[in-house]
Amino acid sequence: MIAGLVGMFLLLGGSAAALAAPADSGVEGKTFVIGTDTTFAPFEFRQNGELTGIDMDLIRAIAEEQGFAVEIRSLGFNAALQALSSDQVDGVIAGMSITDERKAIYDFSEPYFESGIQMAVAKTDDAIKGYEDLKGKTVVAKTGSEGETYAKSIAGQYGFEVTSLDQSATMYESVKAGSAVAVFDDYPVLAYGVAQNNGLKTVTDKVPGGSYGFAVDKGNNSALLAAFNDGLAQLKANGEYDQILNKYLADPTAAVPTTFWELLTESFPALMKGLGNTVLVTAISFAVAMVLGLLAGFMKISHNIVLRGIATTFVNVFRGTPLLLWAFMFYFGVPQLTGQPMSIWVAGVLTLSLNSGAYVAEIVRGGIQSVDPGQLEASRSLGLGYGKSMQKVVVPQAFKMMTPSLINQLIIMLKDSSLLLAIGFTELLYQGQQIYASNFRVTETLLIVGVIYFVAIMALTKLANFADRKFNK
Amino acid sequence: MSEATVASPREAKIAVKGLRKSFGTNEVLKGIDVEIAEGEVVCVIGPSGSGKSTLLRCLNKLEDISAGHVIVDGFDVTDPKVDINEVRRHVGMVFQHFNLFPHMSVAENIMLAPVELKKATKAEAREQALKLLERVGLREKADARPASLSGGQKQRVAIARALAMNPGIMLFDEATSALDPEMVGEVLQVIRDLAAEGMTMVLVTHEMGFAKEIGDRVVFMDAGVVCESGPPAELFGNPQQDRTKEFLSKVL
Ligand SMILES: Nc1ncnc2c1ncn2[C@@H]1O[C@H](COP(=O)(O)OP(=O)(O)O)[C@@H](O)[C@H]1O
Ligand SMILES: [Mg+2]
Repeated sequence: MIAGLVGMFLLLGGSAAALAAPADSGVEGKTFVIGTDTTFAPFEFRQNGELTGIDMDLIRAIAEEQGFAVEIRSLGFNAALQALSSDQVDGVIAGMSITDERKAIYDFSEPYFESGIQMAVAKTDDAIKGYEDLKGKTVVAKTGSEGETYAKSIAGQYGFEVTSLDQSATMYESVKAGSAVAVFDDYPVLAYGVAQNNGLKTVTDKVPGGSYGFAVDKGNNSALLAAFNDGLAQLKANGEYDQILNKYLADPTAAVPTTFWELLTESFPALMKGLGNTVLVTAISFAVAMVLGLLAGFMKISHNIVLRGIATTFVNVFRGTPLLLWAFMFYFGVPQLTGQPMSIWVAGVLTLSLNSGAYVAEIVRGGIQSVDPGQLEASRSLGLGYGKSMQKVVVPQAFKMMTPSLINQLIIMLKDSSLLLAIGFTELLYQGQQIYASNFRVTETLLIVGVIYFVAIMALTKLANFADRKFNK
Repeated sequence: MSEATVASPREAKIAVKGLRKSFGTNEVLKGIDVEIAEGEVVCVIGPSGSGKSTLLRCLNKLEDISAGHVIVDGFDVTDPKVDINEVRRHVGMVFQHFNLFPHMSVAENIMLAPVELKKATKAEAREQALKLLERVGLREKADARPASLSGGQKQRVAIARALAMNPGIMLFDEATSALDPEMVGEVLQVIRDLAAEGMTMVLVTHEMGFAKEIGDRVVFMDAGVVCESGPPAELFGNPQQDRTKEFLSKVL
């Protein structure tokens, strides 16, 4: 908003000083914060860790053309719109259809992309050439999408069944596997998949649908909006616009299928970043789980019935409920109760550490109870207090017995951290999903991810056993 | 000083008055009265399960006391205001199964209390530990792990550890019962030396010969009560109670 006001001011100032700077559009030299979705190939997605796609190429080209800078924030679709309303970002470009409802809240640019629905079949399928050939067959469409609405609207007329699935990649796999004969999906998504050699081909014409626009908050940032429209017109005129679209949507005959080795080298940086986050969230969560587990473990053996009750409840609750439920609860539920957004790292660490803490508590209790009671008595008889005796005599011995179980727990946690992909935490498996969502090489990508997990866990096991031998002699 | 912590007029080092102890509904000590003077060596004998260990463990409150009073070195250990950790520094205890700390070296076992209770720096504590090991004839084992010691050596280290806080009282609970016969002698010798130095000691023992030799007094316990007590010559030579006679006829 401030940038907007300053822009307006400069605009006015500029016209007042029209002789000095006749071409001043009010955006030159400025930096605008642009919100976007996390992954919506081919409009925005990550390749080798970099945000790329039609939207990204367009906004960057327009910025360059118009002489301003952009700072892209990959927030997710809904979060980006919220950020726009609260002026945390100056504009949003996120493959967003221009609708009347949205026009009431945001100001839209000229449409920069005409979307629509299209049908595709397996590349090797020569039997299905149009809707008439679908009689008695099953097609897939994405749950809640325009493609689903359209497919259902003509299903009766042509006599086919519609099955709804959640992800584009899984829809394409099921067509290739033969469990459905065709897929109805957004034209750009489908065209991009075909361009990536996902094993499909389009056989019908695009059914025109919505147009996509760049949005600013209503009444704000009009200079930015004007610059976007101006830049878009320039790119269309000089052919750069078509180049960008072709880059993502052109016919696959142009695209050379990449080898497994190329897939590996291209996806490796993103997967390593995922692995880094997996390891980091596991390390932090395990440290927290150890603290929680030690506390609860000691409370469980305490003579105080209240402390014991608290610890037992904690253990029962977190052992008795799924990890994923807590991930959703912390990331989606708690912010709605408190009105405070929760960082995905905080939500992730809470989820993993509370779950694991319950198991660690049991390991700690078992470990301490397995130490000969004579050890505590001997220490107490020397005049050491309960705490000191535990710290110096009982716990070190208990730890030795607990170590194998704790290593086990650490490995379980590292694997469980993959569940955090459900809330969009960029860990290893999530990165894998992002990669096959844009290149459709599902099996190979999963294979690579599996090998990385396996190697990481073997390395961790070796390291932990080495530490065990070194410190627990 | 509250009334409860006033020592008895005879300046008894340990005074047990009407001590009762129950585990749940099972009353194990049924009213024990014993006084032990400074420097006195008292041997406690009696059949298994008669409550000897429980009595000893009540003296430093390893067991909660159900009723009665136990006054040790002027402290009433049954008084909740008394810091039991402070009292325990005046009372060394040696266990049947040694209970050495396996994750520490021999010297560290002995240094633990002085260092943790801030009675000495690490260097001073080690110095003292070496002296104590010298006393029990194990100086060369200072840096060994307990696991590498024989039973007799372990128990001598345990005695050195119990002496680390310079206690005025030592409690021994069947200190030689877990030992192979050839190792009993070396442990008894250490205890004998302590007696000669004037340490106040209470020994629960099955070694009747040793009790006769070292004890100033022998206490015979049966079924949670002190059945008979007196100088060893009298108790062993001329027992008054039938239960004492019966017990001695079995063990002697
Ligand atoms: N922690 C305990 N809980 C319940 N009963 C116990 C406990 N310790 C000892 N007892 C019981 O108290 C009685 C006396 O035990 P103890 O003092 O060990 O006898 P002694 O040392 O003379 O063999 C026994 O019947 C024993 O079973
Ligand atoms: Mg006993």
